[in-house]
Amino acid sequence: MGKTSKDKRDIYYRLAKEEGWRARSAFKLLQINEEHNIFKGVTRAVDLCAAPGSWSQVLTKNLRQNAANVEDVKIVAVDLQAMAALPGVIQIQGDITKLSTANAIIQEFEGMKADLVVCDGAPDVTGLHDIDEYVQSQLLLAALNITTHVLKIGGVFVAKIFRGEDISLLYSQLKQFFEYVTVSKPRSSRNSSIEAFVVCQNYQPPEGYVPNMVNPLLDHKYCDFNQFTGPNRFIVPFNACGDLSAYDSDTSYPLLLEGQTSYEYKEPVQSPINPPYKDILDKTKNMNLKST
Amino acid sequence: MAGTVFSEVIIHRASKDEALHHLRGHKGVIFSISYEPYRNTIVTTSDDRSVRIWGPNVPPAHAHNTVTYWEGIEIVCKHEVYGHLARVMRSCITNNLIVSVGEDSAICYWDFDGKLLKKALTHQNGCIWSVDSDGTSLVTGGGDSGVILHPLTIATDYCQENIIDVGVATPKKVLFTARNNLVIMDEANLIYYDVVNKNKTEHKLNHESTYKLLALSSCKQLIAVADMAGKLDVFVEKCKDEAFLLNIVDTKLQIGKILSMQWAGNRHLVLCSGDGNITVLASNNARVEVYANFVLPNCKERWLTASAIELENYRFIVGDRCGNIHVFIKGQNNPVKTFHKVHGRYGPTSISVGNNRIITTGRDGTIKYFSINGDVVKHMSNKDLAFEWVEKFLDKGENIICGFQERVFVVYNVNENSKMLEVACGGGHRSWDAVRYFKKVNENYEELIKLIYLKNSDINVVTFQLSKIVSRNVINGSHAKEINCLKSHRISNATVYITGGEDTTLRISSVDAEMNFKDEVNFKHLSSVRTLKTFSIDENHFLVLSAGGRAQLCIKDIKLTNKDNNIDVTSEELVDYLIRGTDKERKGNQTWRNCSIDFDPEMRIMDIDVINDKDGLIIFAGCSDSYVRVFTFKEDSKKVEIIKEAKYHKTCILKTKCIKILNRNILITCTTRSEVTFWNVTDITNDNFEPFFSTKTNKSGINSIATVNVSEDKVLVATGGDDNAVHTIIVEINVQNNMTSARVLHTWKSANNHSSQITGLILVDDYLVSTSIDQRITLFRWKIYEEGIDCKFLSQSHTMVSDIQGMDLLDHNCESITVCVFGKGMEVIAVPKIPE
Repeated sequence: MGKTSKDKRDIYYRLAKEEGWRARSAFKLLQINEEHNIFKGVTRAVDLCAAPGSWSQVLTKNLRQNAANVEDVKIVAVDLQAMAALPGVIQIQGDITKLSTANAIIQEFEGMKADLVVCDGAPDVTGLHDIDEYVQSQLLLAALNITTHVLKIGGVFVAKIFRGEDISLLYSQLKQFFEYVTVSKPRSSRNSSIEAFVVCQNYQPPEGYVPNMVNPLLDHKYCDFNQFTGPNRFIVPFNACGDLSAYDSDTSYPLLLEGQTSYEYKEPVQSPINPPYKDILDKTKNMNLKST
Repeated sequence: MAGTVFSEVIIHRASKDEALHHLRGHKGVIFSISYEPYRNTIVTTSDDRSVRIWGPNVPPAHAHNTVTYWEGIEIVCKHEVYGHLARVMRSCITNNLIVSVGEDSAICYWDFDGKLLKKALTHQNGCIWSVDSDGTSLVTGGGDSGVILHPLTIATDYCQENIIDVGVATPKKVLFTARNNLVIMDEANLIYYDVVNKNKTEHKLNHESTYKLLALSSCKQLIAVADMAGKLDVFVEKCKDEAFLLNIVDTKLQIGKILSMQWAGNRHLVLCSGDGNITVLASNNARVEVYANFVLPNCKERWLTASAIELENYRFIVGDRCGNIHVFIKGQNNPVKTFHKVHGRYGPTSISVGNNRIITTGRDGTIKYFSINGDVVKHMSNKDLAFEWVEKFLDKGENIICGFQERVFVVYNVNENSKMLEVACGGGHRSWDAVRYFKKVNENYEELIKLIYLKNSDINVVTFQLSKIVSRNVINGSHAKEINCLKSHRISNATVYITGGEDTTLRISSVDAEMNFKDEVNFKHLSSVRTLKTFSIDENHFLVLSAGGRAQLCIKDIKLTNKDNNIDVTSEELVDYLIRGTDKERKGNQTWRNCSIDFDPEMRIMDIDVINDKDGLIIFAGCSDSYVRVFTFKEDSKKVEIIKEAKYHKTCILKTKCIKILNRNILITCTTRSEVTFWNVTDITNDNFEPFFSTKTNKSGINSIATVNVSEDKVLVATGGDDNAVHTIIVEINVQNNMTSARVLHTWKSANNHSSQITGLILVDDYLVSTSIDQRITLFRWKIYEEGIDCKFLSQSHTMVSDIQGMDLLDHNCESITVCVFGKGMEVIAVPKIPE
C-alpha cells in the first residue's frame, strides 16, 4: 500500500495527523461535545482506557477555558497500557476494575469527584463481532462501575458501545444510573461501523446504592429484556452528531481538498508503544516464518 | 485454571481464597489454556503470538489429582515458541504433539520440546477459532464457517521416500508409464525400469544429436523419443503380464530441426520444427504418416509447449512458448482461432480437452477455461492458484492439480480451494513427474500420489498415501469474512446463492434438497466485493454484475444446469473493468520511487443497479467519492463504457436502486447524509443527468432501501438507516415540469423496533420485513389511509448471523415469507405471515 493510501481512504485519519491528534477518535469526542455540550463547566475529568491519548488531548484543549486558573483543571487518564506523556494530564497506569484505581483518581482530585468521565476503550478486537460486542459491553460495565466511585451526582458519562445483539439490555442498565441516556453517532465514526457512543447525563444512582468493586455491578444475564419485542423493548433516542458540513468518514476525498492548493504527507503523531506483538516482531526481525 | 486479560494464568483451588499459582510471561491477553495431566503439561496461547508450554520445574512426587501435587509444585515456562503470524486462538495436546491454531489460518504442530514440526494453512485464509483431537484426527473450526477433519500427522509419517538406483550414471529425463513403471533417458539409451520386479531393460537410441525429446501419450503407454535431426522412435508399454517396451516405430523424419514434440491424445504426435512448421504424425498399421501440417504464427520462441486434440472435430489445440493458444483444423495451415498471451512467458504447461471445454495451465499461477460450442471456442474464466508453476491435472475430473511453489511441490484441490500436499523437495528439477493412482492396501483401495524427480543425478521417488495425509471437509466453508451482498436463485429443488464478500471473493454456492452447502465456483476481485446484481437472460441463465473496492466492476455470464442433483455452473468472464484504470494505466512505467503522489481518491463502488436499454445494459454505480456514474454494457463487444457522471451529492452514496413508474425509468440514490434522491434516467444517453427530486428520511446514513409501486403514479419507498429507524414515504411522481413537481405525500417512521442500524428491507405484498445488526428480523404490515401511511408491527424473530449486511427474498406463499439474511455467515429463515 502506498504511503498516501490511508490518507485517501480515511479523511479523519489524515485530518488527525494534520491537526496533531494522536488518533482520529479525537474528532468523535469533539463532535459529541458539539451536540451535547458535555464540556460545559467541567474542571475535573477522567479519561478511562485513554491510550493512545487523543481524548485526553481533546479534554486538555477544551477544559482549560472553564477555569480562570489553568491549575484548577484536572484531567486524569487511566489505562492498562503505558501511554506517551501529555502535558496537563495526570496518568495512572492501572486496572479500572480495581478499587485502588478509583481511590487513586479521587486522590488526584483531592477528595473531590469528577464532573465528567469518558471512555473510548475497546477490547483488542478479535474480529468476531459478536464476541467483540460482548467484551465491549463487559468493558463498558467495568467503566460504569468505576464511574460510580468517582463521578459526582449530576455528572456526565460518555462511553463507546457496539450496537450489537444485546445492546438494549445495556441501555436499560445505564438508564438505572442516569436520567438521560442518548446514543450518539459522530459523523467521524464510519457509517459501516457498529460503534456508537452513549451519552449519559445527570448521574443519579438508585437510592441506597453503595458502589463496590467486589460484586459485578450488573450481571450480564440474558434476561427478559432481550425477549421484549417491538414497542415493548426499551429503546433509547438516537442522534447523529457533528456539523452537517463536517467531512463524512465514508466518503473518499481527493488528496487536494476543496480550497487547498498543496498536500504534504504527515507521519502519525504517536506510534504505538509496547503492543502485545512487540516481542515477536523483535524476535522475527531476521527470520522468515513463512518458509517453515 | 483461568487466563486473564492481564496476560497471566491463575490456578485456583475451589475451596481456597488464595490462588495457588500465577503463570506470568505472556505479553498479551490469554486466549486459551490446555492441560494434559499425564504429561504434566499446560499449554497457553495468547494475543502476543506465542505458544507457551508450562510444567513443574522438577518431576512431581505426587499424583496430579492430589492437593499436595498442586500445592507442592512450582510451575515454570519451559518453552516460549513462535510460529504464528497473528493471534494464537487455541491449542490442544495429543499423545505426541501439541497443536495450535491461529488468526493467520495456520495449524502449527509442535513437539513437547517446542520444536515446530509442521505448519499448514487451511480455512481459506480465515481465522481458525477452535481445535480438538481424539488421538487419531484433528478437527478445526474456522472463520470461513467450515469444519475440517485433519489426519493427526506430520506429513512425513505417511510418505515413503527412496532413491532408486537403476544403474544409470547420468539420467536426463524420467517419466511414469501407464503401469507406474519408469522410463529414463540418458545420453544414449532409453531405459525401462520395472518398479515391482526391480529390473531394467535398455533400448539403445541411435541418435545423431545429444539433444533429445521425450514424450508420453495421454494414456502413458506410448513413448516417443526424437532427436533434433529427426530420428524418431516410438515404444509401446505392454499393458498386461510381463512389463516391457516394444519398439514399434524407428524412422527418420525429413522435417528439419525438431524443436518440440508432444502427443495430442493417444494417436497423434505433434512436432514443431524451424519456421514454425508443425507436423502431426499418426500411425496407420504400424506405418507412420503425416496426418496434418500447420504453421505456427511468428513469435519470439517459435515452438510448442503443449498440445491436445478434440476428437469429435479433430481440432488441435496447441500452446506456444510465448503463452499463446492456437486452434488448428486439419486442412488449414493457419490457426482458425488464436488466444493471445493466455499464459506467461514459459507457455502453457498442459492442455486438456473434453466435455466441450478446454482447460489450460501455465507457469503464471493460473488455470484457464475455454468452452467449445460447435465451431466457436470461447475463453470463459480463469482460476488463480496460490502457487506459480501450475503443471497438470492428476485426475480425469480436472480437479486435482500439481505444480511447484518455489521449492515446494504442491498438490491442490481446485474445487475445495485447498492444498492437499506440500513436499519441500527443492524444486528446479531437471526432470520430474507425478502420478495419482489407486492401490489395494490392507483390503482398502487407497489413493496414492507418487512424485519422481532427478536431483544430483539421483532418481528420487516419494509416495504419499492420501487418506493418511489429506484433510477432509466435514462442513464446507465459504467466505472467510462478511458477506456484503447476496442474490439467490432457485433451480429445481436446489437453491443457488451468488455472494460477494469482504474477503474479495465472489462465489456461487449451492444448497441441495438435503441442505448440503457447497461452493461451486469462486472468483477473485482486487478488493472487497460490496455489491452485486443479476440480470436475467433465460430461466437459468443470467449476468452477474459485481463491484466494490478499487473501483472495480466485473460482469460474468452464468449458466446453471441441474444434473442428477449436481449443480453445474458454466461461467464466462465478460468484463473486468477498473473505472480508474489499472495501476499501469494510471502510473505508466514509472518505478514507485519516481511516482509522484496520486491525488485521485481511491474510490469504492458502494452499490450498483442495472436496467435494460434498447442497445444494451445501463449500469448505475453509486461511488464513495459521491459521484453517480453511468455505464453502458454491450454484450457483443463485451465492453463497459462510461457515459455519464454526476456529483450532485456531497458525501458517499450508499445505495442505488432503479424503479419503473409511469413508463419511466427512475434511479434512486441514498447517501450517508440521509438524502433520498430521484433521477429520471429514461433517456439517459441524451438527457442531462441530474436529479428531479430529493428528500431526507433518516437521521443518518441510509443502509437499505426497498420500493413498491402502490398506484400508477405513487411509489412507496422504505429506508433503513444507521439511526436504527425504518422510514416509509409515499412519493407521488408527476411527469409535468420535467418531473420536478414530485412530492412526498405521506411519511411514517419508527425507531422502536431495532436497536442497531437497519441493513436489510424487503417489501412483499402488504408486508415490510426489516433486519438489523441487532440480529432481529421484524415483520410489519403497511397500509395507506387517506390521511397517511401506517406500518403495524406484527412479529420479530431472531437470527444467529452477526454483522448482518442485508437480506434477500427467497420465496413467499400464503403462510410465510422466506428470507436469507447474510453478514458473518448466512441463514435462511421463514417468517410466518400474520393474517389480518
